[in-house]
Amino acid sequence: MTNLPREMQPDSALEERVVSTLVAAGLVRRRRMWPAWVAAAAAVIVLAVGVTMFRPKQMLVQGKTYVVLLYEDSTYRPAPAGHDAERVAVLSRWADSLATVGEFERAGRLVGPGPLGGLFIVRAADAAGAARIAASCPFRRWGGHIEVKRFDP
Amino acid sequence: MLIDRFLRGRGEDAFRALYRAHTPALYALAMHLTGGDQSEAEDLVQESWVRALTALRTFRAQSALRSWLCGVLVNVRRGRMRTDWRIVDAPDVEPIVETNSAEDAIDLERAIGTLPEGARDVYVLHDVHGYTHREIAELLGIVEGTSKSQLNRARFLLRSALP
Repeated sequence: MTNLPREMQPDSALEERVVSTLVAAGLVRRRRMWPAWVAAAAAVIVLAVGVTMFRPKQMLVQGKTYVVLLYEDSTYRPAPAGHDAERVAVLSRWADSLATVGEFERAGRLVGPGPLGGLFIVRAADAAGAARIAASCPFRRWGGHIEVKRFDP
Repeated sequence: MLIDRFLRGRGEDAFRALYRAHTPALYALAMHLTGGDQSEAEDLVQESWVRALTALRTFRAQSALRSWLCGVLVNVRRGRMRTDWRIVDAPDVEPIVETNSAEDAIDLERAIGTLPEGARDVYVLHDVHGYTHREIAELLGIVEGTSKSQLNRARFLLRSALP
């Protein structure tokens, strides 16, 4: 064994470069430090949107119930800081469009560790119909992946 | 463990802890493989972290994370260079004697930088970072015999190059 060093400290700027690259690639989630008023405003928006999203079921189409699972995996690109509410609004509008044709039951965000970020419970005549609904979900614009499963209430 | 903490949410703070724990070893390896080229070594470290986090699912917890990361770095480096993995018949060569002074270390580092890629990778992993031939074979996707012959070749070439 030679005694060349087995550890060396690189320039501290490298850490910032690596973190920025990984965040841009969607491999690391950027730390967010929001002021309290932003968090409060976000909570109000989420609550307002939540009221819309968790409405009771109405005039559902004949068929079966499916669950559309939204995974924020390594390919998912999180919203820029302060823009989470916009994504919730986009998903809410999509849910509204499903509701007008009787395909929407419930939706919600999943809080806690793991990549599963949210779900929609939808109605469709069959698996192909459920897949069509999932394919129209705007979540796909932001990476991640979607799974559809039959839901037996 | 740091890796478990990171995998739970892929958060920035958890990654920074992982980075700070393993980057000094990765950077030293990169500096040795590039013959002390700081800019090239930094690029290698950065690309290795990107590759490693992309492929993290293939990491098996039973192998040491640092070894796995070093393997990623060596393979990133090999992907950038035309590799030279010819098997050479060289007699067994004793390790280079320990370097005693800063000047000796610089001479050795420069000489390592002139080695053919395949021989350099094995030399740095074996004689500088203490990996076994079995570990090197696994990291680089070669057989142990190739690792041994490349090490002999590297030592032979270094002996000729050093004063």
